[in-house]
Amino acid sequence: MFLKLDRICKTFGDKVAVDNLSLEVPEGVLYGIIGPNGAGKTTTIRMVMDITAPDSGRVLIDGNRPDRRFRNRVGYLPEERGLYRKMTLLEVMLYMAELKGYPARTVRENCDQWLQRMDLLEYKYKKVEELSKGMQQKLQFITTILHDPDLIILDELFSGLDPLNIELIKGILLELKRAGKTILFSTHVMEQAEKLCDHICMISRGRKVIDGSMAEVRSRFGKNSIRLEVVGDSGFVSSLAGIRKVTDFNNYLELELEGGADTDAILKSVAQRVSVRRFALVEPSLYSIFIDMAGGEPADPGGAGEVADV
Amino acid sequence: MSKFLVVFKREYAQVVKKKSFIAGIFLTPVLMAALVMLPAFLARQKASETEHLAVIDQSGCEIGAGFAKALERYFIDDEETVPYYAVERIFELDRVDSSGRAAVEDSLRRLINDKELKYFLVVGEGTSGGDADLYLVTNSDNFRSISRFEQRLSDLLSARRLEKSNVNLSIDSVLSLTQPIDLTIQDAKGESIPFMVKYFSALVFVGIMFGMMIGYGQLVMRSVIEEKNSRIMEVLISSVSPFQLMLGKIMGLGAATLTQVAIWFALGAVMFMMRSAVSVDPSIDRIVFDPVIIVFFILFLVSGYLLFSTLFALVGSIVNTEKEAQNFVAPITILMVLPFLLGIAVVQEPNSTLAVVLSLFPFTAPTMMMMRVVFIAPTVTEHSLFSGIAAEATLSFLIVVAAVAGMIWLTSRIFRVGILMYGKRPTLPEIIKWVKY
Repeated sequence: MFLKLDRICKTFGDKVAVDNLSLEVPEGVLYGIIGPNGAGKTTTIRMVMDITAPDSGRVLIDGNRPDRRFRNRVGYLPEERGLYRKMTLLEVMLYMAELKGYPARTVRENCDQWLQRMDLLEYKYKKVEELSKGMQQKLQFITTILHDPDLIILDELFSGLDPLNIELIKGILLELKRAGKTILFSTHVMEQAEKLCDHICMISRGRKVIDGSMAEVRSRFGKNSIRLEVVGDSGFVSSLAGIRKVTDFNNYLELELEGGADTDAILKSVAQRVSVRRFALVEPSLYSIFIDMAGGEPADPGGAGEVADV
Repeated sequence: MSKFLVVFKREYAQVVKKKSFIAGIFLTPVLMAALVMLPAFLARQKASETEHLAVIDQSGCEIGAGFAKALERYFIDDEETVPYYAVERIFELDRVDSSGRAAVEDSLRRLINDKELKYFLVVGEGTSGGDADLYLVTNSDNFRSISRFEQRLSDLLSARRLEKSNVNLSIDSVLSLTQPIDLTIQDAKGESIPFMVKYFSALVFVGIMFGMMIGYGQLVMRSVIEEKNSRIMEVLISSVSPFQLMLGKIMGLGAATLTQVAIWFALGAVMFMMRSAVSVDPSIDRIVFDPVIIVFFILFLVSGYLLFSTLFALVGSIVNTEKEAQNFVAPITILMVLPFLLGIAVVQEPNSTLAVVLSLFPFTAPTMMMMRVVFIAPTVTEHSLFSGIAAEATLSFLIVVAAVAGMIWLTSRIFRVGILMYGKRPTLPEIIKWVKY
């Protein structure tokens, strides 16, 4: 199943949430929509899900306008999510799958396997309210994919999950991708997208900033950055010759180089002033590409801000 | 399975599976019966002890003594050994002794405050001429005793007036000559249903409707609020259309309502078969078996439920918390209880302009019309869909049905936007925009 957005726009009052956005999600890829909070990721996803209608532009599924059947073939996990607290896990799974037109019998056959993988099997007949928040998120993930959808849309999937569970779910996403499913996910944590996606679309203030496969995006910017970790005050670095821009990631600096800059000279002058723990030539991170392209500081360079997108 | 049915099934199961549903089915009729029967039962209880009185008599013709003697006919027990009233003392004062009377009154009032005396009667001098110059002092509202006193004193004063007049008859023969009558009331069918039977039947029918409409209507609202609050709504809307979701909820909980009423009907039928065991006025048959009443009860229950639950779904979709919703629930409730509030006025004159208007206004029609149907339908000899109460009820029902259709349309427009709006409660102009959107 492939997805195409054709010049969609959405405004709320006088605030432009999505501005003339076009993108194509090919079948069988892991596609990341990245951007800071408030960039328009959730609004875009809601328009794909037909929860809000675009002011103009079209959403096309397999080249056609989505119809009722489309709903059954999609698994959608919104950013703000919840479950019925008073229902048991089994009841929730049955209800959600049946709402997708998926047969209850198949759910009963498959659910144990998923619960087992997510380490929730012992809670099968317990009520949702007995689960911890992280467990509830895992259950929400199960209900998103239990009906075997062809297109899986995950809005800020990883927020609030611990690293172990993030790895668990990443593994499942890769499996689903190998099985030919199309996966669209949004995140404001750029490193996650960097590690997981085949293809990314970066948006800022509702506009597309970068769009392409991970490899394309990286090669467009070349290995023109230095990742630098030092002990001591690194404030002087920005004044060195050949450095266009410094991005401070707190634990390390990313130095963007001017064309033809002498990296040996830079290393020497840094080593004279402070003790160097790491000095590596790297491809630029998505984050610094983002700053380059969007021409402004995103609100949050990679923390897990829980502020909802508009 | 259609998605509407999936939602329907869940909403129905969520209610019917609950222990409170089963408990409600059995406890509600018991509570209702207790509420209706307890006051009557308590009122029929015999007094446990003799009531003490005193009399101040300034009549000069022994009215006080006559009163004390007249009270001797009342006994608490069936063996006629424990007297109901004990006249402790009769103060026979001189006609003009007003200061003496004030002093005695003061001391008697104190006794009443100390609960050593329940009543004292002051018989003024005017009574000797047959005037009703007397009053009773008491802190009690025992209307049975007070009406007995009135009866006995009336007789005494009548006798006094008789003595003064030139009619040469004994008091007993006058009383038997002027015996008041009990007017028996028959309806057009030539039968009579006591007022209280009609009134309580109406209260039961309207009470069930009210309970179902407000109880299950609010469940619809809560269910919407729960899904909004838990943010589950967005996932649901990616699977079903808002309209399917709304209708699934309303119908699913409506089916639970009908289940409950059906069980009550069954219980009622069993109780009816054993009615000889309890003392129920036989004329109740005329109401519970009146086909017009049964048909309109079901029609108004269903249409009224649909109307109000849709309204509650609308409220649920525009608020964020149950607390916010309470502001809307109060006015809706008032619409529903209007027939209770106006109860006596309506039943005394079921065809008054107010009653007719309210039974044609959709939000008061179900309960108001039901009340009138219970009062009027059993007395009508022949029902016609084109005249009389059946025609009126049909018109009222059609108005409610039209209102339900309008309400479902309106709510579905607001619902699909409102359920995804979190945070600020929308203003009226915003809501109007949603309707047009």
